[in-house]
Amino acid sequence: MIVIKNLKKSFRTEEVETLALNKVTLTVTEGEFVAVMGPSGCGKSTLLNIIGMLDNPTEGSYKFAGHEVSGLKESQRTQLRKGNIGFVFQSFNLIDELTVFENVELPLIYLKMKKSERREKVKMVLERMKIGHREKHFPHQLSGGQQQRVAIARAVVSNPKLILADEPTGNLDSKNGTEVMNLLTELNQEGTTIVMVTHSDRDSHYAHRVVNLFDGQIVTESQNREIRATI
Amino acid sequence: MFKNYLKILIRGLFKNKGYSVLNIFGLVIGITCASLIFLWVENELDYNKSFPNKDYIYKILTNQEYNGEIYTFDATPGILGPTLSEEEPGIKYTTRFNEEERLVTLGEKSFYKNGAYVDDDFYSIFSIQFIEGSIENVKSNINGIVITKKTAQQYFGTYKNIVGKNLKLDNKKYYKITGVIADLPDNVSLHFDWLASFKSYELGKEYLKYWGNNSTSTMIQLSKKANFNTVSSAVKKIIPENTDNEGRTYGILHSINDWHLRSSFKNGVQNGGRIIYVHLFSIIALIILIIACINFMNLATARSVKRANEVGVRKVLGSKRIHLIVQFFIESFVLTSIAAIISVFFVLLLLPQFNQIIGKNLQIELANPIHIAVLAGIVIFCSILSGCYPAFYLSSFKPVVILKGLKGNQGGATFIRNGLVVVQFVASIIFIFSTIVVYTQIKHVKDRDIGYNKSNLVAINVKGDLLKNIDVVRQEMLNTGMIENIGLNSYNILNGGYNGSGYSWEGKPEKFDPLISMRFIDSEFIPTMGIKIIDGRNFYKKPNENSIEVIITASFAKMIGNGSVIGKLIRRDKNVFEVVGVVNDFVYGNMSIKKAGPIIFLNYPSKASYIYARIKDNMPVNKVITALSVVMKKNSPSFPFKYSFVEDTFNSKFKNEMLIEKLSQWFALLAILISCFGLFGLAAYTAEQKSKEITIRKVLGANVKSIVNLLSQDFLKLIIISIIIAIPIAWLIMSNWLQKFAYRINISWWMYALAALIAIFIAMFTISFQAIKAARTNPAKTLRTE
Repeated sequence: MIVIKNLKKSFRTEEVETLALNKVTLTVTEGEFVAVMGPSGCGKSTLLNIIGMLDNPTEGSYKFAGHEVSGLKESQRTQLRKGNIGFVFQSFNLIDELTVFENVELPLIYLKMKKSERREKVKMVLERMKIGHREKHFPHQLSGGQQQRVAIARAVVSNPKLILADEPTGNLDSKNGTEVMNLLTELNQEGTTIVMVTHSDRDSHYAHRVVNLFDGQIVTESQNREIRATI
Repeated sequence: MFKNYLKILIRGLFKNKGYSVLNIFGLVIGITCASLIFLWVENELDYNKSFPNKDYIYKILTNQEYNGEIYTFDATPGILGPTLSEEEPGIKYTTRFNEEERLVTLGEKSFYKNGAYVDDDFYSIFSIQFIEGSIENVKSNINGIVITKKTAQQYFGTYKNIVGKNLKLDNKKYYKITGVIADLPDNVSLHFDWLASFKSYELGKEYLKYWGNNSTSTMIQLSKKANFNTVSSAVKKIIPENTDNEGRTYGILHSINDWHLRSSFKNGVQNGGRIIYVHLFSIIALIILIIACINFMNLATARSVKRANEVGVRKVLGSKRIHLIVQFFIESFVLTSIAAIISVFFVLLLLPQFNQIIGKNLQIELANPIHIAVLAGIVIFCSILSGCYPAFYLSSFKPVVILKGLKGNQGGATFIRNGLVVVQFVASIIFIFSTIVVYTQIKHVKDRDIGYNKSNLVAINVKGDLLKNIDVVRQEMLNTGMIENIGLNSYNILNGGYNGSGYSWEGKPEKFDPLISMRFIDSEFIPTMGIKIIDGRNFYKKPNENSIEVIITASFAKMIGNGSVIGKLIRRDKNVFEVVGVVNDFVYGNMSIKKAGPIIFLNYPSKASYIYARIKDNMPVNKVITALSVVMKKNSPSFPFKYSFVEDTFNSKFKNEMLIEKLSQWFALLAILISCFGLFGLAAYTAEQKSKEITIRKVLGANVKSIVNLLSQDFLKLIIISIIIAIPIAWLIMSNWLQKFAYRINISWWMYALAALIAIFIAMFTISFQAIKAARTNPAKTLRTE
């Protein structure tokens, strides 16, 4: 699903150029759950943003489901992203002025889905995330765990092939964190590919594979199946 | 999608009540101002538009050359109209129009009413609608009178079945009502309550047949096929052909479409008029709208940190940039529409006060397609202008940056935002400065020494046979104990007199022919007015009807020669006058002229039209008027007592300037108010942006004052930049405005300083609220948020 070869990403300010990613090569197959780890500033989020087509690489190749993504214009990236990729953020990033239902409905509106169909899908996913009873509430009326469940609901409502999670438990206590990780695992078991950036060793154990980044380069990759099975 | 945008907008409005109120109220003020100004401009532009023949109607004015300068007068020979009517085929109708005030009486009801003596063509030219009677009635009755519906109702309680009844004019002559006509709208240049035949007016007035006498208004209507240039040329030639003034007086055509707005002439050429105010106020309306829109832009972009998250999420979820642009434009459209609806209520609420200020009776008509279109136009203009910057700026945010947490000053956005604040304050400072200059100029003209004491001076209209008893009247007025002196004059002292040229004296250069104003007074007039005799003496009390004595003003004396002119002879036509006194100059007509024009006084009290009564100091005005009215009622029982205070009449001469003063005060206030709304919002935004810095500084020991200074200094810089930009622009505008006053102030440094200080004070006052609030925030709270 994801084939990245010799990917480079540099940020230039007036005085210095910082290399955030340096010749990263990574493949993620369909149905995989990959955790990306590393210290702060190692390039994890930059890699996730490029995989999520929010940003373009400076050099190298990135193919998503066979389509070369590097060099695409923003509008083309948006088109490719829509319905294919769901995002889960550490800080939830829900729209404060919209209710739970409306937040989850938003990606479907951009997919120009009919209202009745949208309603059915949103209801279903909210029930699944056990947040259906809160559909008329606004984000600030929910706990952190509930907000993240809404964010996951919004990420999966369009049945994307890939979910990108950027420290999804970073703002949650351990109980809510476990719930969120279980949800992601469930989604993965149903076939959704997941790439998750995390600082947490515990969360990384949910992944099939852990990719360690350091100074913009992949330094180690390890399979994780046995560990996950024991959690 | 639209529904989704609306939900976000409405919920956002309620969530951020403070911003919403600032934003919408700023727009409400802007739109209300613009709407009120539009109603005024519409009324001004619509003047005389209700006359169907307006494109063919002209007034004939005369350009008269005196001493190398051409003056334009609305005065023509009485014979001009009838002659043109016979000789010029391009003219379809002509009428003479002499406005007069008459006491109109029906039984016990007696009122002074404005009317005009007109020729029969008048009714065709101005498409006058007869409600009762007919034009045939009018034509067949030389001693008939036509009254307006309003006048009919005032006298008869009805306008029906009154044709054939009589009204008495000036207690002398009965006129038979030949018609009742519909009232003309307010915004026409003709104002009258009655019309009578010019034929009855001209009886016995031989001077109306002289080509050298200009004392009548003449109006014409061209035929549709007429060539304007041919008629214009005929009008220009006809007076010189019939006089021997070598073409120094000639007629020009002045279209009815220009009567109201372009009636100012300089050296014989049209040079504007009220149109300058129409342009000025239209520009002011536009500036106030722009200031309000800038507010909107600034507040919207200042809220960008809060909106950025939404933009980022929407983009991540698949929104294209165009969707966001549309969203922000919809927001500005909806907000502007809400503001426009509220503005309509404000306009309805404020219209009576506004009408009072401008002296009109404007009305907003919600069903009028033009009013609806203009309001829609304002909404669209504001939506686009207010929405464009937020739409393009906010939609340009990159989700990667936003979702990392947008911070910092966002470079270009800050520059633009600051630039917009500068634009707002430049406009506000110009308004403040203009207000100061206008106020000072009006005060300067009003306070000028006009050559006599205008305070405590009452002008009483002389009617009927009052002058026969004038000595008795004078004594009875003096006997009240409240009157110091009584003087008589043939003309209102504030206006012109019997103006003419053709005077000569020994040593006068041959081609020097100045325009001199002639007044007929009594011996008490000069002391009553407080005019000083600077050479010679006053008139004797009992004038000899054949007296050749004259008193002249200093400017006239200077024309005759240096040194004393007492005893010198002045000739005009067959008359010879001897100068017995010279008095100081005094200003009449236009109060803003630099030097008063020359005047010649004749001792001729029997021609008086005004009694001037000087009230003793500290007398209660009401009691004085009551006492004067008792004397007048006793000696002139058939005429209602009519008076005016010279000072009030003097003040009324500054109607336009005072309107400008009042409106510029209001606009300055509103512009600065809207700008302050924006500044208030921006200060809140800056405090929010700098919350981390403030916290760290406080942790390190900064006190409230230093934090307030920190937050204020950036704004102070903006205000100072605004002052630097505004001052030359304001100087340019106001020195240009002052040019129209010959007697004018010099713009001095304190006016700039005052405008700058007002702007700085108001801006700092506005900012201080947010700055103090931010400085007092508990640092622990901010650190928790961080």
